[in-house]
Amino acid sequence: MFGTLFIKECKQILRSLVYYIYVIVLILFLTSQMSGDSVNDLQKPKKGLDYYGMTVSTDKTDIMERTLADLLQEVYQNSFSTYPMGFYKQVILNDAELDEIKEIIEDCSGKDWDTLEKEMLEYYEAADQSTIEGAMQAMMEDRIEVKKDISYDTFCEKMERVCKIIGKGSSYEKKRLDYGVDVPSTYEKALEEYNGIVEKDRVTGAYMRLFCDYAGIILAVLPIFLGVTRGLRDKRSQVAQVIYARNAGAGVIQGSRYLANVCMAFLPVLIISFVLQMPWQYQAQTLGVKADVLAFLKYDVIWLLPEIMIVLAVAFFITELTENVISIFVQVVWAVVSLFSVAGLVGGFGLKLVTRWNELGGSALYEQQKSQLYCNRGFYFVLSLVLVVLTCLVYEKKRKEGESVYGKIFKRRK
Amino acid sequence: MNTEIEIKQLSKNFGKKQALLNVDLTIKQGMFGLLGPNGAGKTTLMKVLTTLLKKSSGEVNICGIPVENCKQVRGMIGYLPQDFSMYGNMSAYEALDYLAVLSGMEKKERQKKVPQMLEKVNLEHQQKVKVKAMSGGMRRRLGIAQAIIHDPKVIVVDEPTAGLDPEERVRFRNLLCEIARDRIVILSTHIVGDIEATCEEIAVLNEGKILFRGTVSELLHMVEGKVYKAEVSTMELPMIKDTFLVTGILTNGSTSTIKIVSEESPMKDAILCNGDVEDAYMYLMHQYHDPKKCRNMGVQTPEREF
Repeated sequence: MFGTLFIKECKQILRSLVYYIYVIVLILFLTSQMSGDSVNDLQKPKKGLDYYGMTVSTDKTDIMERTLADLLQEVYQNSFSTYPMGFYKQVILNDAELDEIKEIIEDCSGKDWDTLEKEMLEYYEAADQSTIEGAMQAMMEDRIEVKKDISYDTFCEKMERVCKIIGKGSSYEKKRLDYGVDVPSTYEKALEEYNGIVEKDRVTGAYMRLFCDYAGIILAVLPIFLGVTRGLRDKRSQVAQVIYARNAGAGVIQGSRYLANVCMAFLPVLIISFVLQMPWQYQAQTLGVKADVLAFLKYDVIWLLPEIMIVLAVAFFITELTENVISIFVQVVWAVVSLFSVAGLVGGFGLKLVTRWNELGGSALYEQQKSQLYCNRGFYFVLSLVLVVLTCLVYEKKRKEGESVYGKIFKRRK
Repeated sequence: MNTEIEIKQLSKNFGKKQALLNVDLTIKQGMFGLLGPNGAGKTTLMKVLTTLLKKSSGEVNICGIPVENCKQVRGMIGYLPQDFSMYGNMSAYEALDYLAVLSGMEKKERQKKVPQMLEKVNLEHQQKVKVKAMSGGMRRRLGIAQAIIHDPKVIVVDEPTAGLDPEERVRFRNLLCEIARDRIVILSTHIVGDIEATCEEIAVLNEGKILFRGTVSELLHMVEGKVYKAEVSTMELPMIKDTFLVTGILTNGSTSTIKIVSEESPMKDAILCNGDVEDAYMYLMHQYHDPKKCRNMGVQTPEREF
């Protein structure tokens, strides 16, 4: 019975307009986001170049010196970028607040403000800022030496004070500092990075991490619409009573619906990732590397499938419980909070719903953090199963008692 | 094998509202009519029988199985709810097949029974028509097909003819009678004509209580020698309606032919005539709701509790 219901459910999804909207939005989002990464950019680095791109450094001296340089710039312009609720907010300080931050910078660097300001202006005057890349490089290479007697912890404490003055969501918060800072890469680092992509990731693996980064953002929200549509379909079509009266169990009914939705939501992700992976397979061939042809499948199953599962499980559970669209709002809030709570755009998975890896490569770092990702996705896999079981219990309760939990609450309020 | 439904002291309340109160009924094979006004508790009773509502107290056994054994009972019951519908984008065949799967039927069995059922309810030529494109009558017929496809011992049909045109209604009643030959069919309705045309055993339900249970003949017996026809001036109608239980009016200009249920001849020119189920039902409801008026009319008032 389960298999037949599953197939019938898949057919029903294929007839749903919401599903086609889901597929179109997914394709548009992923193709637009992924188009920026050209396969031709993946080349073995050559010696003697001026610029080898950027890399994240977690070296404490790098962090302190780069942070201090950024802070000096923002104080000089009296314009501080913050992201308190995930959205950009410009903060402008009064003279007293500026003076306090200037004192902190002086304290950390051991130089007075005027000297620091003069050095900064001279540095930028000397740097080649005629191109965007040049300006970026100048900014990334800008550093202020920190006094020798200042430890990283003391530095972080001082930055905490800066955060209190500027407000929440600035780049001086400890979790952001711990994440590391962008520094210009060197030939050796670039080569190491390239070798990682070619040897460990076999090219396609690195690309699929980037794919999962973008897909993870949209999949934190999009499947909710499929789940809510399915959850409300019985009510909208007035078929709940007829189905309740059949002898199929709640597990079979809800389980087949859930599984069909998971599979149908996952199918376009698999197809898109396979198609987008193909040019990278070809590029690997031209580089003389045997690409990992199944990378799309491995990454999609481990990284994206649990996310689709949990989003749909939330949709099924809340919709069955409340019989309305409230789960859409719950999910959107969860996704936005998860997306903007990340300190950096690479790794640091924790238990975040949206796990980021916004770079092509980082193989060594990924190897380090892989187990964290597995724990994260494993947690959501189990949680989604728990929610599906709860959905079945709610369904069975409604089936026997003839009214929704929401209905009961509403009646009591009246 | 036990083929009857036993209901003992069944009560159901929704918070403070008493929907069913100490209902006692035994329903045997054949058509059984459950009559009562809107809000009488008919749908609540149907839902308790179909395991869609939990009873508050009492005992219900469906063919010897307590209603608490939901899974077993669901396998024995076919249910056509009042507002039957299916997913609009499914065809008649697909809808029936889907519900057959939910009843645990195997593919081979479904392939045989789905066309059979569609033929039985005269939908064999509309099997590809989408549910959303079906008329009310077609949907009801599809509804009855889904209720019998798994060959249940009991079929519960809630207000099946409401909203149907006369032709569809007659066709539907005939269909119900046909399928009631070898099983229990419970027909719940507030349309007296449906009961009169199809059921032998009936129960009248009002405000959650059984007012009458027995055969149609026994119900008719209640108004034997009490139904009169008279021709009166149309102007007098309001006054007559205040005084007597008027069950029918046929107006013809300044005069009207009326039907009155009364213990004694209500007026000089009144002629005794045969009462029908509608007269008996009206008489019964009046006795319950307005015993004082019944006494004024000379009608003997039975006890409120039956």
